[in-house]
Order: sequence, then C-alpha cells, then structure tokens
Amino acid sequence: METMGTDTLRVGDRVELAFPARGDLVVLARLVTSAISARAGFDIEELEDLRLAVGELCLLALQGSDARHGDLHLEFTVFEDAIDISCTLAGAAPSPDTPADGVEVDQLSEQILSALVDDYGRQRDDGSARAWLRKRRRRHVA
Amino acid sequence: MEQEFRIEERTDGSVPVIAVAGEIDVATAPQLRECLHRVIAQGQTTVILDLLDVTFLDSTALGVLVGALKRCRELGGELHVVVADARIMKIFEITGLTKVFPIADSLTAVGAS
Repeated sequence: METMGTDTLRVGDRVELAFPARGDLVVLARLVTSAISARAGFDIEELEDLRLAVGELCLLALQGSDARHGDLHLEFTVFEDAIDISCTLAGAAPSPDTPADGVEVDQLSEQILSALVDDYGRQRDDGSARAWLRKRRRRHVA
Repeated sequence: MEQEFRIEERTDGSVPVIAVAGEIDVATAPQLRECLHRVIAQGQTTVILDLLDVTFLDSTALGVLVGALKRCRELGGELHVVVADARIMKIFEITGLTKVFPIADSLTAVGAS
C-alpha cells in the first residue's frame, strides 16, 4: 500500500513565493519548483521540464518591463491531475526590450513552454505582467 | 550540490575552446556573451563552445549562442557546440536549434581535446 509522506502536497494545496524581480534570483523560482513538483507527484523528467518552464515564465514576465523596483510573485496550485503555476510581475514600469543578440528570446521561451507544458499564456497591463502554465501528471495521484 | 558557473578559455591548435560549467541563465548569460564577443572580436571566427559541464540552459543562453553563431558566420567562420547531457540536448531539440548549430557529443568529434 502506498503511503503519503507528511511533506506531500495534496489536491487544492497552494504555495506562494515572492522575491525581488532580479535575474540572479530566478534560480529561487527554479529551486522551489523542483521541491514543489516532487511533492506534488511529478516524476523526475516532469520535474526537470517544470524547472525549465518556470524559468521561462519568469523571463516572459520580466521581458518588456523595468523590473528594478518590482517583485515577482509565483503561485503554485496542485490539482488532481495537474499543477498550475503563475508568475506575476507587479510594480514595474513598461520598458521596450532591445534584443541584446539580435534574437527574440521570448520566441525561444514560447517554443520551450509549448514543448514542455500542456498549456501556457501571458498577459500584460500597465505596470503588471503575468505568465502562467499548466502541466498534467503522467501518473494519477490521489 | 549545484555546480558553480565558470568559463574557461583555451586554444586547441588554432581554434579557441570556451568551456562553460554550471547554469547558464539570465544571470550568467551576459558573462558568456561578453566572452564570446571578445574572442570573436580578436579575429577568431571559428570557436568551439564546450557545454559538457553545463547543468542548465535557458532561452537567454540560447539567445547568446544564436547571436554568437550569427557573428561567426558573418565573418566566414563557425560556432561548434559540444553537448553530451540529454537534458541540455533536449533544449536544443525543442527549439529546433539542432538544425542550426553544428553539435558534437565530444571534444574529439570536433577535433579538440
């Protein structure tokens, strides 16, 4: 019989993480995503997919904004067969991006997300940007 | 334990080898960009980029690599990428960049050691 550890996330559980919107702190989002995904029943390959996908969510939220004074807010919600993750940048003024390498990095982000997760999206309002994803589990967790 | 980000430059024959270790992301990619730009600006139009010890790569890193590849090719050279880790290779595959970069799975395959 399968037993559920005390550190296991259950259906309906929600975890939030907020940190200053700095590129060098995006690693925090990846680390927390690994921990949450493992506790939400995702296997190691799915966990790696989510770790990469969350980094891209953060990048999509940061792109096009002057994030020097903003915060990134991540919200993880566990469902029976999936996890939803949203990343919101609040308190940052819009700022036009100029690709440093002549490459549209947000297109690469979207390619990565479309390959790794089941659904994703992004929206932008004045001073706020939000990107989100949903990834379904291969195996069912009660 | 997480591997520390590190860039090492060496020359193998006439071709420079840039070896990267650790995670290349939005925080560390600018260091790689600066290194690649500097090497290419010194007249090295063909470069070997050793990613064998890279543990993570995001779209920012790919943007740096594509930018460097364009520079090399504009000057008549090439940017060879060396990748062996399946997780890193997967990122090149899902972005279609396996068709853009010459990718080898070992340094010997690109004539370096």
